[in-house]
Amino acid sequence: MIHFDGVEKRYPSGVLALQGVSLHIEPGEFVFLVGPTGSGKSTILRLVQCIERPTAGCVTVDGTDVGTLPPSQVPLLRRRLGVVFQEFKLLPDRSVADNVAFALRVTDVEPAEVVPRVRWALETVGMAHRANDPPARLSGGEQQRVCLARAVVTRPRIVLADEPTGNLDPDAAWQIVHLLGTINLRGTTVVMSTHNPTLVDVLRRRVIALHAGRIVRDETRGLYQPLG
Amino acid sequence: MKPEAYTSRSAEEAAEATGTGGAIRLAGRRSILGEAVDGLRRNSLMAAAATVTMAVALSVAGWGMIVSANLVHVAGVLESQVEVVGFLRRDLGAAESKRALAAARAIPSVRSAVLVDRDEAMRRLGRTFGSLARVSKQLPANPLPDSIEVRVSDARHARAVAGALRGVAGVDEVMFGAPVVDRLVALTRAVRLAGAGVAALLAGAALLIIINTIRLTVVARRQEIEIMTLVGAAPGFVRGPFLVEGALQGLAASAVATAIMVAGYSAVAGGVTRSLPFLPILEPRAVLPEAVAAIWLLGAAVGFAGSLFGIRRFLGA
Repeated sequence: MIHFDGVEKRYPSGVLALQGVSLHIEPGEFVFLVGPTGSGKSTILRLVQCIERPTAGCVTVDGTDVGTLPPSQVPLLRRRLGVVFQEFKLLPDRSVADNVAFALRVTDVEPAEVVPRVRWALETVGMAHRANDPPARLSGGEQQRVCLARAVVTRPRIVLADEPTGNLDPDAAWQIVHLLGTINLRGTTVVMSTHNPTLVDVLRRRVIALHAGRIVRDETRGLYQPLG
Repeated sequence: MKPEAYTSRSAEEAAEATGTGGAIRLAGRRSILGEAVDGLRRNSLMAAAATVTMAVALSVAGWGMIVSANLVHVAGVLESQVEVVGFLRRDLGAAESKRALAAARAIPSVRSAVLVDRDEAMRRLGRTFGSLARVSKQLPANPLPDSIEVRVSDARHARAVAGALRGVAGVDEVMFGAPVVDRLVALTRAVRLAGAGVAALLAGAALLIIINTIRLTVVARRQEIEIMTLVGAAPGFVRGPFLVEGALQGLAASAVATAIMVAGYSAVAGGVTRSLPFLPILEPRAVLPEAVAAIWLLGAAVGFAGSLFGIRRFLGA
């Protein structure tokens, strides 16, 4: 589903964010990306979304070579991805339902499909009862659930979550991870970057650890820190 | 939380099927124009501030055009006063004088030519210098010659017209105040350049202010743009409403600027005409239509272009 082969990413400022990164994520996997700030976690997620292009090596997402993808094709790739942000990125002047529907409206989804899909996504994250409220009336955890609904409403093959629990209390963080697990059980590939050791250690999913732009550990049922 | 597998249903069915929190209310789907109007409504305060700023900038540009047009007009009026006079020989008969007049009129760059006989010349002299009128009555005969007074279409050609007039049969002497005309031509050229400079400077300033204002409104909505691009909206879909919004703001600002210019210049022109009647100021109807048309064009174009440049940095990926 996601393949990195000898990927290097050097930003125009000269910063080398990734070097020699090779990883293969199969369909339906749940993967934690861990590592200190600046280790390259977010760069991996940005490469998958084609926000950045690799400076060397090859990135393939759902069969698409990101490095050579023409700009006109980038939106089509992104429609196959769902993205959850640490800072939610909900539009404050639109209702919860409109925020979720936003992801459908900007793509080519049939108008008749919009309401049932929004309802399904909000029911999936347990937020259907707040559909007509503005985001400002929601707690942080609720806002992140809405963000998750927006990510899955397009029925993506991959969900990318960049520190989705970073701004949440422990209970809300668990709710989000539980929801991501539920989405993963349906066959959606989930890649989540996190600094939260408890979540990683309790769930025991695949862990890819990065340091200074290199993969230093890749374990099928890993922990946040290496044993010993 | 009981997620079910997604199955497609109609909006009505879905609304009826709700059991957790009532019907979902979604904003209706809109055209690009509808999206643009909705965008302006959602960001009404910022849109209003940007429109007022643009209106002020466009008004300044419009006044620049009006001032420029008046400077050009003043230069034209001054140049139209330039006259070349050809004095005819005293022994010329009426038929020969008429032939000389016809020849003068045929000279290129001659706007008009009239024959002034010696009696009319004496009357003018009397009107200009009253005391000379009494002296002239004591003269045995009118000493002044007949003359042809020539107005040129372009003051820069006065010297050439004077040369050609010297060659006309029957013309004895030609006068056109060469140093004065040269200075006048230099002055009017400077005035025209200054007028164009003022208009260009103010239009340029307006352009920068407007583009910057629109860019700020686009920057303020960068999150909306970022989300659109990350969920896979095509660049055209993202760009379209913003460009229409920019053009609508530009047109609204043009309307306000038009009101300011029309009311302001009508008052100024009326006041100047009453208190300084010798100042050749343009009538409102002679200058406003062009200035207003230019402002509307500038407003819509700059609004559109400002949005285009503003949003481009967010769609660069």
